[in-house]
Amino acid sequence: MRNSTLSATWKGTAVFGMAALVLTACGPDTSGESAEDQVADTDWSDVEPADEITFATNHPGGSEDQENELIEQFTEETGIEVNVITSGADYEETNRWFQTGGGDNADVIVLSDATWFPNYLNGALAPVDDLLEAADVDSSGYVEALYEDYLYEDHHYGVPYARSTPLFYYNVDHFEEAGLDGAPETWEEVAEYAQTIVDEDIASYGYSFPPSNEYPAWGLANLVWGYGGGWSDEWDLSMVSSDATAEAIEFAQSGVQDGWAHVSASSQTDDFSSGVSSMTIQSTGSLGGILEAADFEVGTAFLPDGPAAEGETPTGGAGLMIASASDPEEQLAAAMFVGHMTSAESQAYFSEATGYVPSHQDADMSSVYEEQPQFETAVEQLDRARVQDHARVFLPGADLELAETLQDVLSADADVREELERVQAEFEELYETELADELE
Amino acid sequence: MTTVESPPDSAPSESAQRSTPTEAELAAARKRARRRASSKNWALFLLFAGPNILLILAFIYYPLISNMYYSTLDWRLGSPTADPVGMSNYIRFFTSPSGLEVWRVTAIFTAGAVIGSMVLGLLIALVLNKKIPGRTAARTAVFSPYVLSGVGVALVWMFIFDPQRGALAHILAAFGIDSPAWFLDGDWNLVMVIIVYVWKNLGYCAVVFLAGLQSIPKDLLEAATIDRAGAVRRFFSIVLPLLTPTVFFLLVTNIIFSMTNAFDILRVMTPSGNGTNTIIFEIYLQAFGQYNRAGYSAAIAVVLFFTLFIITAVQLRFVERKVHYQ
Repeated sequence: MRNSTLSATWKGTAVFGMAALVLTACGPDTSGESAEDQVADTDWSDVEPADEITFATNHPGGSEDQENELIEQFTEETGIEVNVITSGADYEETNRWFQTGGGDNADVIVLSDATWFPNYLNGALAPVDDLLEAADVDSSGYVEALYEDYLYEDHHYGVPYARSTPLFYYNVDHFEEAGLDGAPETWEEVAEYAQTIVDEDIASYGYSFPPSNEYPAWGLANLVWGYGGGWSDEWDLSMVSSDATAEAIEFAQSGVQDGWAHVSASSQTDDFSSGVSSMTIQSTGSLGGILEAADFEVGTAFLPDGPAAEGETPTGGAGLMIASASDPEEQLAAAMFVGHMTSAESQAYFSEATGYVPSHQDADMSSVYEEQPQFETAVEQLDRARVQDHARVFLPGADLELAETLQDVLSADADVREELERVQAEFEELYETELADELE
Repeated sequence: MTTVESPPDSAPSESAQRSTPTEAELAAARKRARRRASSKNWALFLLFAGPNILLILAFIYYPLISNMYYSTLDWRLGSPTADPVGMSNYIRFFTSPSGLEVWRVTAIFTAGAVIGSMVLGLLIALVLNKKIPGRTAARTAVFSPYVLSGVGVALVWMFIFDPQRGALAHILAAFGIDSPAWFLDGDWNLVMVIIVYVWKNLGYCAVVFLAGLQSIPKDLLEAATIDRAGAVRRFFSIVLPLLTPTVFFLLVTNIIFSMTNAFDILRVMTPSGNGTNTIIFEIYLQAFGQYNRAGYSAAIAVVLFFTLFIITAVQLRFVERKVHYQ
């Protein structure tokens, strides 16, 4: 009996031992070694582009037909076949697909401004500077602020593709009814106009702030920058609790408390389109949807100026990244493909169909302006584009922390400065636990 | 028929020695036969059960054990490297404020969902057990939300709860009541998803309760009626005690379902989990939300596994003994 018990114990131990060995072999490498950077060591003059590459995309802005058209052009010009994988319905799904194994299959992938950095940390993205040069793609033609979004440690890790910025929308009919002349140019004017609209009982609210699921840290970046604040100053995380940032958020909170503004329940786009509110800030990519849904004249304007700065515009949307796991031949073909998809002509065509702003400076958008004059505002506003703060786009979980805090602070009477100090402490902990080891 | 027996004391002849097996040989033969039968049984067993066992090992036990291994790593989703951290992820989940908040939310959601579904399900079952016109249609209507897609249900209820344009806001406005900030306040968020979950699942409870009610012997109820027991007395003295097997079955299954099956409603109605991060939702948010903490998420999944394991074991070992069966 004793022998059989011992035998069972030994068998059990052996099975667990085998299981541990198998799991160790199949799971992540726990030796601490990082992925090799192929690009830096490659002599691109010796590399011939591959005949076939794979492009993983969520077809941003419903662009499947346009992407297929551009891909056909590329194949005709170069002879390189492009296999398209629909890797998700949105940027988050595409990112998850890439992180959970898609990187082994894709050569080019669409990743958003807020999701590319973890993939950089995972060593899954190839730096594109040398690749673009080898593929004869002139990167100086890109809108600088849009291209600089992908700059980290002296290398770019993506090329601007389906890009957007926030845009100021207002209800022209409401404004005329209230006797307001043109869009507000400063946040003080936004408050003044919104109060007038509410006092005149023209709409329930003058202005709609975004809820937590509509990226409020992106939509409110202009207000915070306008007061001289920010979510961080590079990796100086104390900026989020600075006096300037607190003043900006207090201004927004007072708007809700005074009744001229509110936080939308599910989407500020819906509240604006249905006439519940008269003004909001939303992505340029929402312009088409708003024009379609609204039964009133929609006006667009630059984001408002603050007391400390002109209306700076945070960049957003997605870029094209090249997988580090691909062979040099595939990477070179991928760089040629990326260059084609982001050329001036391609971007004009893509932008016209989707509402994303063109990422190439030379894109001719004149035909779009004739049909949608509001879109011209979005493109001209690119001159005011500013790269987003590190905390929002690079620090894992920080955007969510900001989103929930902003929603709580704006929709309740919470003490702004206390909340922002708590956010700073949370940021510092996130930095220590999630990034410090890898960045220092 | 006659038989010739050898004298007991006479020695067997050589041929008899060869033809008559010894006890040892018989035992060996029996052993061989048993082995052959056993081998045959094993072959049959492996033939029929083998493929299923392989599938169960590959798709249930391998991921389960893999997940336990990942739970001991500090691993960002998608990273080719990870650091072994022992039990740190578990300690963090049981001691950090965010981990304790998950337990609080899970407890409130489970209590609200289970009690709401069972109480309302029982009341509906009592009504549907009466001989009323349109009873079959009513039973179908009550059960149908249970088989609807959780995503579709959540989307429809989002329109109903919308504080600006929703049906509920208009109904409340008719009574002079402002709509709560369903989507903006974490506490109201939780109340909202409990209401939707209960609405979707009470049909299941009602149908199971109805089956329980119909198995109660009518002669007992008739005897009680003759003894002048009122409806309330009959319910608490006869119906409810005889329903205890159903009650405990539903209690256990509802606790398990509410901890594992609510994900679709939570994800659609509260995408970032503001105030609604129950344990199953937290697993998703930590790994696939903004944090990408695959190791920590795996640890929470292991905790959920053992929580459900314990609940099931308690149900099997303890609760069933305390339940009244006919």
